Amino acid sequence: MADLASRISKPSDAPADDGAAPAPAAADGNGAEKPVDEGTNSGLVETSYDVEVKLSDLQADQDSPLYSVSSFEELGLPKPINDGLLAMNFKKPSKIQERALPLMISNPPTNMIAQSQSGTGKTAAFVLTVLSRVDLTKPTQPQALLLAPSRELARQIQGVIQTIGKFCENLIVEAAIPGSISRETGVKGSVVVGTPGTVMDLIRRRQFDVSQLKILVIDEADNMLDQQGMGDQCVRVKGLLPRTVQILLFSATFPDKVMNFARKYAPNANEIKLRHQELTVKGISQMYMDCPDESQKYDILCKLYGLMTIGSSVIFVKTRESATEIQRRMEADGHKVSALHGAHEGQNRDALLDDFRSGRSKVLITTNVLARGIDVSSVSMVINYDIPMKGFGDKEPDMETYLHRIGRTGRFGRVGVSISFVYDRKSFEALSQIANYYDIDLVQLSPDDWDMTEKKVQEVIKSSRARPDYAPNPLGN
Amino acid sequence: MTGSSPSRGQSYHWATTSPQRTVLEEILSDDRNSEARHRFLLEAAKREHERVREEAERVYREQLQKEERQRLLDARRKEEERIRLEEELAADRARLNALKAKKIEIPPPLPEPEPSAPPTVNGKASAPALSEKPAPVQSNGATAKSVPASKPSAPPIPSPPQSQAPATALNKAPEPEKPANSVLSVNGLVNRTSRVAGATPDAGTSLPVPQQPIQARPDRYAEIHKNLKMLRKFMADQAKTNPALKGRMGDMRREIRKSVGQLTVTQGVAGVNKVQQQNIFKLLREALSNQVQSQLMDPSNFVLEPRNPVEGAAHNEPALPSIFLYLINIFAKAAISQFINESGARPETADPVGVCVVATLSEPDFLWRGVSLIDILLAKFRIVCPVLFGYRGNEKTEQGRQRLGWWKDSGRWVPEQQHMDRMTGLGAGFAAISLRNFAMSKKTNPYPPREYWAAMARIVNTPAAEISNTQCVVLKAMVEGYEQKFIEFYGTAAVEALRTALIEFPARAPQKSAAVNSLEVLARSLKRDTGLVLG
Repeated sequence: MADLASRISKPSDAPADDGAAPAPAAADGNGAEKPVDEGTNSGLVETSYDVEVKLSDLQADQDSPLYSVSSFEELGLPKPINDGLLAMNFKKPSKIQERALPLMISNPPTNMIAQSQSGTGKTAAFVLTVLSRVDLTKPTQPQALLLAPSRELARQIQGVIQTIGKFCENLIVEAAIPGSISRETGVKGSVVVGTPGTVMDLIRRRQFDVSQLKILVIDEADNMLDQQGMGDQCVRVKGLLPRTVQILLFSATFPDKVMNFARKYAPNANEIKLRHQELTVKGISQMYMDCPDESQKYDILCKLYGLMTIGSSVIFVKTRESATEIQRRMEADGHKVSALHGAHEGQNRDALLDDFRSGRSKVLITTNVLARGIDVSSVSMVINYDIPMKGFGDKEPDMETYLHRIGRTGRFGRVGVSISFVYDRKSFEALSQIANYYDIDLVQLSPDDWDMTEKKVQEVIKSSRARPDYAPNPLGN
Repeated sequence: MTGSSPSRGQSYHWATTSPQRTVLEEILSDDRNSEARHRFLLEAAKREHERVREEAERVYREQLQKEERQRLLDARRKEEERIRLEEELAADRARLNALKAKKIEIPPPLPEPEPSAPPTVNGKASAPALSEKPAPVQSNGATAKSVPASKPSAPPIPSPPQSQAPATALNKAPEPEKPANSVLSVNGLVNRTSRVAGATPDAGTSLPVPQQPIQARPDRYAEIHKNLKMLRKFMADQAKTNPALKGRMGDMRREIRKSVGQLTVTQGVAGVNKVQQQNIFKLLREALSNQVQSQLMDPSNFVLEPRNPVEGAAHNEPALPSIFLYLINIFAKAAISQFINESGARPETADPVGVCVVATLSEPDFLWRGVSLIDILLAKFRIVCPVLFGYRGNEKTEQGRQRLGWWKDSGRWVPEQQHMDRMTGLGAGFAAISLRNFAMSKKTNPYPPREYWAAMARIVNTPAAEISNTQCVVLKAMVEGYEQKFIEFYGTAAVEALRTALIEFPARAPQKSAAVNSLEVLARSLKRDTGLVLG
């Protein structure tokens, strides 16, 4: 017994198999494990076993957005919140969380303007701050307000708060979006997530008591503050809140002109900023497909799904008409598709997006309404069926939108692929400008020989994963 | 009564007068008070009376019959219910006995567990089966001699410390079968019978053989894995000289990958993935027909044990088209890749892939000599997720990581999060494949639930000092979302196993890392969300 036990507990050469049957199994084991064990492990088992993994290998780049060393426990979060994180498979804070959280949860409360790449844990960062500030003994007294630019994003944030807070007793999170707050009762939750217009209405109608709000979060802040209507609403909402409210502004992008305004909106804020060359997530392999002409884009699109393993995917298009046509073609090819654009009503949009979130459909075709913020962790491919453009007559490429679009994949350090379709001079030049601006190497794909293209795609995915500065981290949401 | 005799007036009219005569005429007629007429009327009234009575009697008889039928039906139902309850009771009791017996038996034996043992015990009554169990197991272990993988597997339920691991392992692996046995003896529940049925034929034919090797020589999987790489090269070479093959092979490969990627969560809706499933069948059948004239190849290179022809099998020939074996390989690869890339982020997406894998690899056309080619998939699993097969290692050492299946890219270890994502996806994928119910299927389950039990046992029986985060992550992914299926198969024994996995196992871990804690949090989530109390 003792003999056997000792053999078992010794993690020697062959994993587990040698204990019971030393001779044959050990031989087999070595066969399988040759590369590592043979030279080092044959003699002194224990010493060779002490070879430590070179951690510098893993975490050489301290500036990686996902690099971090501390744990959530070290941040001093209450146990129910920590349990909620563990249940979500969150194990360690990301860079933005590790850096911003101590600043945000310290007292006295200080404003924050934080920028971090897509899929690096911004939402969790401000949600944790909100949860740490809410007094759960007053479950129906609004204490935190979070604003987002679309109902989808507001509902998503609501979901994240509920998930991380699932072990917090008495946590009530309400969504202040059209059609969800009862006119009779008004807002009865300690945390309120909403779109600016609806929130304004509720406050004006005195159905939302803001007298005890402690914290205001604005997600996708550059977008919110920059847009004509929404920017005004944000300003007005702020004017109605207590002066002491802590203001947090978050986004992956903060163009300079918006930054000045943001500083006025959130005075004396701590700031975490990035240069625009640092903005793209290294884990996303960015490629483009050279289409002979526009009419062939449909067929090429369908072919892409055989080239690599794809979980869910998002296809961005310019017009509702092409969204509908692509949907038809892809469904004929066996895909389950949600097509979501401005033509749909709120509730209907919710249902379509829920299908996609829950995995009932795995392809989402959308116009720009969903370029920002939407987080479905299994999205492994983003397609720019049309290059994002802005300005009069679409004359210049839309840099920010490109970044937000491709940021729908590669969440939390996962592998992601983005493929942009070009078919004429204009689309080619627009994409080139984007590539120059962000300093990215776009890989060209061609639809002529699919065997070759498949090989190329596989190589690109592999090499992007192996890139030295690609250091994903433990956050998965 | 009046209502039921509407014919009176009419019959009279009919008999005596023409239909056209009016009532008035009748009243005014001469023979109105004649005796004949009186008699006639009496006669008519009597006939009518009889008719009514007969009708009533007939209805009455019918009613009686109906009631009798209903009574019989109720009685039968009641009886069935009683039998069902009794069966359940018997099964539960058997399971309970099993548990008790097991606990007592833990200390003594040091032999190697043998999952194949259980089937042999099938016929036994529940209680005796329990005590008997260990015995067959041991003998099996003895014959098998080297039972390496099993060694890691230790007592599932037992609270005993690490040292006894191997001994208990025995008990553990066989255990799953116990409920089945007991049920069997009672002519059991569909569920279990079927499962046992799946196992029994195997025992008779070829399964036991492959089974043993699984435990005995885990590295056969590594060999298969190598052979599969050769196969890939072999196909590429063939394609150079065979334009028909070259023209079709890439398209077929991409079609398979696409179809596997299109599988979506069904949430109980049937037929959601039918198109994809049929497409995969179609491609594999096309490959079997070998229109592209690929060379033939001996499938023995890709299975655990040599196989002999089996009567009634669709394919008994010594070689199959290499394109078919290649596509099975591609299919397995696509499934594993889907687990890693998609289920790592969202474990629930593993389920439809598991269903598709098992449905495909159990399809009679795609069996070789009567047995599934699932070994090809398992060989990949063995390489990418060794902890399922009993391998252990220290995450802080090079060799330990290697043993745990920590991937390297361009000579560097992949980051921790990526590794843990992979393990999450693979753990969920393993559960999705091994916890399938074949009760309603004519096909044989290529990877029955006892494999799930055995894999869990191998992890939870790890000595405390050797518990790794990788194991915790795999274990959590195996359990989360599958607790209900597991309990459906193993009843109270499953609950006990879950307690071991989610309460005792993390409690034993020397370092309370996030991965370890997340097992305990899962136990709490189960309690909160499903009411399942383990602690």
